[in-house]
Amino acid sequence: MSRDQEIRLAVDIGGTFVDAVELDMATGAARFEKASTTPQGPWEGVMNALARLRDDLSAASVFTHGTTLGLNAILERKGALTGIITNKGFRDIFLIGRGNVPDAHMYDFRYERPEPLVKRRRIAGVTCRLDYKGRELEPLAEDEVREAARMLVEEQGIETIAIAYLFSFRDPRHEQRTAEIVREMYPDVKVSVSSDITREQREYERTSTTVLDAYIRPIFERYIDRLETELRERAFAGRFNIMRSGGGAMTAGAAKLSPTQTVLSGPAGGVVGGAFIAEVLKRPDLVTFDVGGTSLDVCVIEQTVPQITHEAELENHPLLVPCYDIRTIGAGGGSIASMDAGLLKVGPRSAGAEPGPICYGRGGTEPTVTDAAVLLGFVDPERFLGGRMPLDAAAAEKGIEANIGAALGLAAIEAAARIYDVMLARTVGAVRQLTVERGRDPGDFSLLGFGGAGPLIAPLVAREMGLRETIVPLLPSGFSAWGMLGADIVNDFAQTDLSVLSDVAPEALDERFRGMEDDARTSLQAQGIGEQDALTERQLELRYLGQEHGLTLPVGRPLDIDAITEAFGVAHESRYGHRMDSPVQILNVRVRGIGRTRRPTVSEAAPAEAAQAAAPRAQRDAYCFARRALTSFAAYDRGHLPAGSRIAGPALVDEGTSVTVIHSDQALEVNAFGHLVITRSGEGARHER
Amino acid sequence: MSDNAAAPAVDGALAEVVQSYLNAAANEMKATLVRTAFNPVIYEVLDFGISIYDARLDLVAEAPGLTFFLGANDYSVRKVAEYLGRESLEPGDVVLSNYPYWNGAHTYDATLLAPVFEPGNDELFAVLCIRAHWMDLGAKDPGYVLDSTDMHQEGVVFPGTKVFRRGEVNEEILDLIRFNSRMPDLVIGDLNAQVSALRTGERRLRELLKKFGRGLLEGAIAAIHEHGEEVTQSALAALPKGSWTAEDIIDDDGISDEPVKMQATVTITDSTFEVDFAGSASATRGPVNMPFGSTIAMCKVVFKALTSPERPSNAGQMRALHVKAEPGTLFHAAYPAPTFTLWTGIVGLELIHKALAKAMPERMTASSGGDVPGFMMLGTHPDTGQMFAISNNDPVGWGAAHDHDGSNALIHLSESIVRNTPLEVLEAKTTMLMERMEMRCDSGGAGQFRGGLGIHRDIRFQTDGEFLTVMKKTKSAPWALAGGLESEPITAIMFPGTPREQRVSTHRTPVAAGDRVTLKTAGGGGYGPPASRSRDKVREDLAEGYVSAEAARDIYGLADDDG
Repeated sequence: MSRDQEIRLAVDIGGTFVDAVELDMATGAARFEKASTTPQGPWEGVMNALARLRDDLSAASVFTHGTTLGLNAILERKGALTGIITNKGFRDIFLIGRGNVPDAHMYDFRYERPEPLVKRRRIAGVTCRLDYKGRELEPLAEDEVREAARMLVEEQGIETIAIAYLFSFRDPRHEQRTAEIVREMYPDVKVSVSSDITREQREYERTSTTVLDAYIRPIFERYIDRLETELRERAFAGRFNIMRSGGGAMTAGAAKLSPTQTVLSGPAGGVVGGAFIAEVLKRPDLVTFDVGGTSLDVCVIEQTVPQITHEAELENHPLLVPCYDIRTIGAGGGSIASMDAGLLKVGPRSAGAEPGPICYGRGGTEPTVTDAAVLLGFVDPERFLGGRMPLDAAAAEKGIEANIGAALGLAAIEAAARIYDVMLARTVGAVRQLTVERGRDPGDFSLLGFGGAGPLIAPLVAREMGLRETIVPLLPSGFSAWGMLGADIVNDFAQTDLSVLSDVAPEALDERFRGMEDDARTSLQAQGIGEQDALTERQLELRYLGQEHGLTLPVGRPLDIDAITEAFGVAHESRYGHRMDSPVQILNVRVRGIGRTRRPTVSEAAPAEAAQAAAPRAQRDAYCFARRALTSFAAYDRGHLPAGSRIAGPALVDEGTSVTVIHSDQALEVNAFGHLVITRSGEGARHER
Repeated sequence: MSDNAAAPAVDGALAEVVQSYLNAAANEMKATLVRTAFNPVIYEVLDFGISIYDARLDLVAEAPGLTFFLGANDYSVRKVAEYLGRESLEPGDVVLSNYPYWNGAHTYDATLLAPVFEPGNDELFAVLCIRAHWMDLGAKDPGYVLDSTDMHQEGVVFPGTKVFRRGEVNEEILDLIRFNSRMPDLVIGDLNAQVSALRTGERRLRELLKKFGRGLLEGAIAAIHEHGEEVTQSALAALPKGSWTAEDIIDDDGISDEPVKMQATVTITDSTFEVDFAGSASATRGPVNMPFGSTIAMCKVVFKALTSPERPSNAGQMRALHVKAEPGTLFHAAYPAPTFTLWTGIVGLELIHKALAKAMPERMTASSGGDVPGFMMLGTHPDTGQMFAISNNDPVGWGAAHDHDGSNALIHLSESIVRNTPLEVLEAKTTMLMERMEMRCDSGGAGQFRGGLGIHRDIRFQTDGEFLTVMKKTKSAPWALAGGLESEPITAIMFPGTPREQRVSTHRTPVAAGDRVTLKTAGGGGYGPPASRSRDKVREDLAEGYVSAEAARDIYGLADDDG
């Protein structure tokens, strides 16, 4: 198949809907479909959504999938029966953790630890010990390993075993030998080894990562196997990729071996897409603003690079796997509005997908942000999801009237506007903090609004924050899926080092990097990446001696220790406002292997088309936050807005699954790629007075 | 930029919007402080408290941080304003305070505050306050001071001193700090970080003044306070009314070995919640005395946990709280009483719980280990030849409640969001080798609901150095409730199994390579008679190794045919 005929598919599973996107790489034309999420058998929703795009999948070269399956297994405690083998004398590392109570419970003196994922009787200690340099203090007692394995498998009936020893990031041999023994004895038991998954310091975090891997592995494998079968039945013969949580994708085969890499991949597609838009539009500093039915996720992109965290948390279990630093700052359209002793609260409770907002008519009785949107005229109840799901506006109005309006002494529409005020104030504060954390002025960023309700809310947030612009991409509802289409194949490798940078011989460090680069290339090769498309990036995670956390910097070849030290000083100053005199220490050596994927084409419209003036389809009454009154908005169909169109607010731009709202002090321009760009207008400002 | 997004009148929506913006301002101050601080304790452990006050010096918002710090800010801001005179506060001022008796903490927890004015209006609008732990202000010993006998051994003191006057820095004050600190760069760096954070808050508040106008903001703040008061009053209405007294001891004052008596009486009426420390020891010679602001902060933590644990804090929530302690006593230190070791507050927090548990055992829990058992090693690292001083706080078992077992191995509830230090970090940064770190079987107080388990830690030293134990509750057992059993107290044994074996509490002990120490942290107290514990739960505990076969049989009465 020639590259010009390439068709790519991507599917993203959300809490409410499954989004599927098809891209014709030759023309850049994308199609988007939705199906309901099917929690009982998640693959069904995936195949339903794909079926809406095309019956026969034989033309597709790549299918990329973002799934929250691993995450859900942990949330719902549906993972495998897992055992742990660790050092004798240190059996409770997993159960003690860091001893802390989650911040949200800081005043809760009755706090109860949740049931652990692994019971204590399924944790065995065996004799062996390394010191902090990896020197063997006690050899591995192999007979104890055999006894531990026998106990876990035969007495406890476990399905998977996590192996994690102290300081194994220094020398994995004890762990590897333990795994070998277990596999010999019980070939059917799945084994997760900490040194295979992460070579980073901190025993609890490493153990937790290994346990999560063991816990979700069987359910994840079954899911992938099932999807592979289903795809084959539809004649799919291309590459099946799974999104990773921290950038890029991996082949389904590789994902089965390393499922923890995928657990937070749900919202990752939107961030990959955001970075792509940042590059194409030359808007290097961007905040992605992804609002779905059940969550509002935000990620900061600086200089076209999304922020990454090397330590995520799942239900208070640390996970030492690189993840996009995506912050959930609200509960999206499902956030419930309620009165609390005279104060109007929005969230943190959410109506979720079930029962959902009142207007869904599925039994929801408490008003939500989505109900307010219906009342404010932003969402056309007849055209929601392209008319597939008519909304009950009258019920929404009644609910807001009774629950909020009556208490505030306001008409339902004003009460709905207040729900928005409260939701916005909270959202603005949270977004601003993210940029301030990075030492940046929020005004430097553009906002990229997507997800079903992103285009509705993002322009209001930008308006409140004084941001330069809001960008609404094509197919905003399916943008996360669209972003997956351009994901590279990526593998991350990390090893904790702890040497002082100035003492390091560049040759030794170079050798270490080369070893890891070999691993990265081997892994890419195993995933079918040709040598010409494979590249590796070197990174060092550095800190001043005495600090706990590090900053990750790219490093070039050949290694120049002075240049690295200087670059770290610059980075520390930019992030923390100062440099220090202390020596610089290498916390982790990191290598990222990247298998280049051809980027999706984005077609640029010919300038000639720009002249055309767009005509509104209709006028619709909606609430203008600039005028704070119900106002007649010009309603446009997005499909009929050519590139170059300029429209002054108040205006609504409808597309099947979402609506962009431009208030009277804002203006819209459709750029050459078809994105909607909303800015504050001088004309609008005059309206206000 | 004119902005008409503000609603026209103060209502429950505007109050919530303003509260969100004020909390966001506090969080941006926090983000700025964490981003610019020099001291890892500030930017990694988040050892600080950030608060925003209105012109009446009533709390309107705070950022998440150490609860003891936050509560003490309220007292400090008033004392400093009193000392300087409110009218002497001018735009651009930054005031430093660390005088323990006014600032509500020991000398190293320094408070900076800044008044906020509307441009062109001399009437004070708000006050911002940031407390952070400074590394050194010249106390008699480096690191932690365990045995000072008056305030002047605890470092240089500022009563309420303008570091910035109308936006101009006073270099002479900075020099005074610099020349009185063993770590001047860190301290001055942190001071500057606190100032940056104050400036961030000032900018945000001025933006809010412009956006909403002073009248609306003040109206909204009044509504926030009323809401706080109303929520608290309705929570108070649900509490039993009456007066209850509890006693306890802390091991010693750091100088003598005599236990120090503490007593608290809690009195709840329809509209007030009073804590009175009458009956507690008079001021001690060693540094376990509590500045009164710190005592109030401790009471606020308990009161908030009972009445508004999930709501953002404001002064309205605290209007019903009254705290009494005679000046010159343990809970109200007076000049020149030493105050450096703040452990009294940790034990004292549970003392108030103990009194409350008499009133409402079903709402409280048995004792949660009683203390934060901490240790530190000082020595020279063989790899670098550099001095190290690395500390760790260990978890304890939490107390059982009327409906659930206490949690195993959590940091004490007085600072429960703090984390322990990973073993792999401790071993790399010091010369300690951990030989064991596991939960202690049978350490949870027995009961119908069992107290959580404490931990057992064995350490072997591989070089010479000093080992500091910081624990003030090794002589009295964590209390139980409703017929449950007490758990064993915290135990620290230096040189176990040798002729030099010695039990210690707060102590600085020289150690040599090859020496060992055993630390056993306390479990939580039990709730209800052990005999009434469900047999299934006893069997479960047995299977998990939380309870031994002997204890199951002898304490819980599990018969052989039961299990």
